[in-house]
Amino acid sequence: MVKHIHEDKNLMLRHEAIELAEHWIVAASGLLLILTGLFQLPFAARFNVIKIPGFAWSANYVTSLYVHYIAAAVFTFAASFHLIHHALLGEKGMLPKKGDMKESIAVIKSFFGKGEEPPMDKYLPEQRIAYVGMAAIMAVLIISGLVKTYKNLFAPDLAAWAILWATWLHNISFILFILAFIAHVGAILLKPNLPMARGIFTGYVRLDYARHRHPIWYARVRNTVEPSRSGETIVNCEENKRPVKSRKHRKKI
Amino acid sequence: MKEKLKVSRRGFLKTAGAATVIGTTGLLGITKPASANVGELATLIDLAKCDGCPDREVPACVSACKKIKEGKIPEVADPIPPPFPSHVKIEDWSKKKGVSNRLTPYNLIYVQKAEVDVDGQKKNVFIPRRCMHCDNPACVTICPFGSNLKHENGIVVNDQNLCFGGAKCKSVCPWQIPQRQSGVGVYLDIAPGLLGNGVMYKCDLCADLIEQGKTPACIEACPRGAMSIGPREEIFAKAEELAKNIGGYIYGKNENGGASTLYVSAVPFDLLDRAVEKGPGKPGLKPVKRAMAKTDNAAKAVLAAPALGIAVGVASAFSFISKRKDENKKEK
Ligand code: HEM
Ligand code: HEM
Ligand code: SF4
Ligand code: SF4
Repeated sequence: MVKHIHEDKNLMLRHEAIELAEHWIVAASGLLLILTGLFQLPFAARFNVIKIPGFAWSANYVTSLYVHYIAAAVFTFAASFHLIHHALLGEKGMLPKKGDMKESIAVIKSFFGKGEEPPMDKYLPEQRIAYVGMAAIMAVLIISGLVKTYKNLFAPDLAAWAILWATWLHNISFILFILAFIAHVGAILLKPNLPMARGIFTGYVRLDYARHRHPIWYARVRNTVEPSRSGETIVNCEENKRPVKSRKHRKKI
Repeated sequence: MKEKLKVSRRGFLKTAGAATVIGTTGLLGITKPASANVGELATLIDLAKCDGCPDREVPACVSACKKIKEGKIPEVADPIPPPFPSHVKIEDWSKKKGVSNRLTPYNLIYVQKAEVDVDGQKKNVFIPRRCMHCDNPACVTICPFGSNLKHENGIVVNDQNLCFGGAKCKSVCPWQIPQRQSGVGVYLDIAPGLLGNGVMYKCDLCADLIEQGKTPACIEACPRGAMSIGPREEIFAKAEELAKNIGGYIYGKNENGGASTLYVSAVPFDLLDRAVEKGPGKPGLKPVKRAMAKTDNAAKAVLAAPALGIAVGVASAFSFISKRKDENKKEK
């Protein structure tokens, strides 16, 4: 089993390789979908995108649709893989819990120097809420996109209501996706969250960061996964007011 | 006509059932997708009959079309909002409504003239041109607003109340049929400078008349009976027979993946293509493939992706679980 806590290097494993792969496949294909989706609108020729070196193809709807399809296939594959893989493994760390709304408000307040952050699990409460939001947007994009794809291949005379629903759901959710993506990157760039950035590139975050900001997560990993490696069983962090041990242990690490 | 429509409706139900079957098998790559989209009506244009109406200033079909469509385009905004950025041009035909020698928003059919040499003899061929009402037209499938729709009877109709006039349909049409009128349409109510530039207009085969069991205006008006409309199978059979009888050629059967408009001519279409005047609003007659066909395999990959993702997800989850069990055993 991989070692989670590296005292010597001051690092803690946050994402395993498979999660990193999932994240970056979804992110890369998602960015490509945003780009080629915009090119599906009469946009590139009008706003001079075609004049950017290397973007001469952007006004060709056949080419941009082709790339949109390839990216959509990857995106859809990765999303359905993610859903079923983690569901079967019972990994629910990203799903919202009771009280997340209240806690996330406390976290946001603390960013402005008001009060202290509640002790956190692996993910911030707002991350769990955002995850569900992003998942919903992606689901709508994928389902409406599948209807559009089916129509293009097999049913150009699909019923008008189906075409209109698919088209407008796709258009609305694509705008929401872009907004959610900007919010996501923006949130990571906030100072208190910035230590998480290295995690999505390397898989590891600083151990002292994990101890202080994610004591519940740290304690669980320490106590369940790697108790044998250290005598320490109680989280040692002064900022942590609540007793961590009373929290139910979750499967997701 | 009514009678025929009833018969062909039953025919359509049959095709729809077949389409479902072809649709599912098509996923496995067994059939070509476009074959599933057989509309029920078709039109035939017999070039041996059309003489370009030499006794009229404007051919009968063209003036009949102009007349029936008169007033369909709403009043054009004055002034038309200038689009941003400035290289995007306004297209205003409202002051040139009389133009009849090319396609415009106010002229949805026109008659091309081709002067050809056939066996050393000079001959004039006249070719009424309008939207071909293709079987799987990209102008419909990639409309980002769902404004351009293909009806069950195969007719392709653009809804002027939904269209933004981005001309995407025009750029993917092999003949650049749809024509833009700026200063009309929904874009005026949203962000006229930034988004959209009018409404695209093209022949709708007088869909409203067909719904009432009537014949499209141009077909009705032709004094020589050069054009006909009817159930698709009948029209296709008629076109084949006609072509065989005159040792002629058909244009439209395979064009853009197949269309519901068939031209029959004794003169080869490549000769005609070379002879007609081509340019904006003046399409040629080259054999054209359906450009979107290149994307069909990628589209099939998209439709297969959810099932593939689930299958791989299940497999990897179970391999993770069994690995975990092994490790737990070892630790014990
Ligand atoms: C250049 C683009 C991106 C960057 C730099 C980035 C960065 C990050 C980082 C640093 C995390 C780690 C958070 C943590 O450790 O808890 C993360 C998580 C995540 N990212 Fe991204 N990301 C990008 C694009 C995307 C895109 C396009 C999507 C969705 C389609 C996405 C969806 C997620 C999800 C679902 C998580 C899980 C945790 C969470 O919600 O914060 N990311 N990303
Ligand atoms: C991040 C995700 C996505 C974004 C931002 C996005 C964006 C867009 C946009 C802006 C358009 C043009 C407007 C329109 O035609 O409605 C478009 C078209 C299209 N999208 Fe997406 N899309 C995404 C995902 C998908 C997915 C997952 C699929 C397929 C499963 C898909 C299939 C299509 C198709 C087929 C079209 C072509 C237009 C049509 O056939 O109606 N898209 N997309
Ligand atoms: S001829 Fe052009 S506008 Fe008419 S249906 Fe075919 S692709 Fe569309
Ligand atoms: S199709 Fe008929 S109405 Fe039109 S130009 Fe030919 S003869 Fe005249």
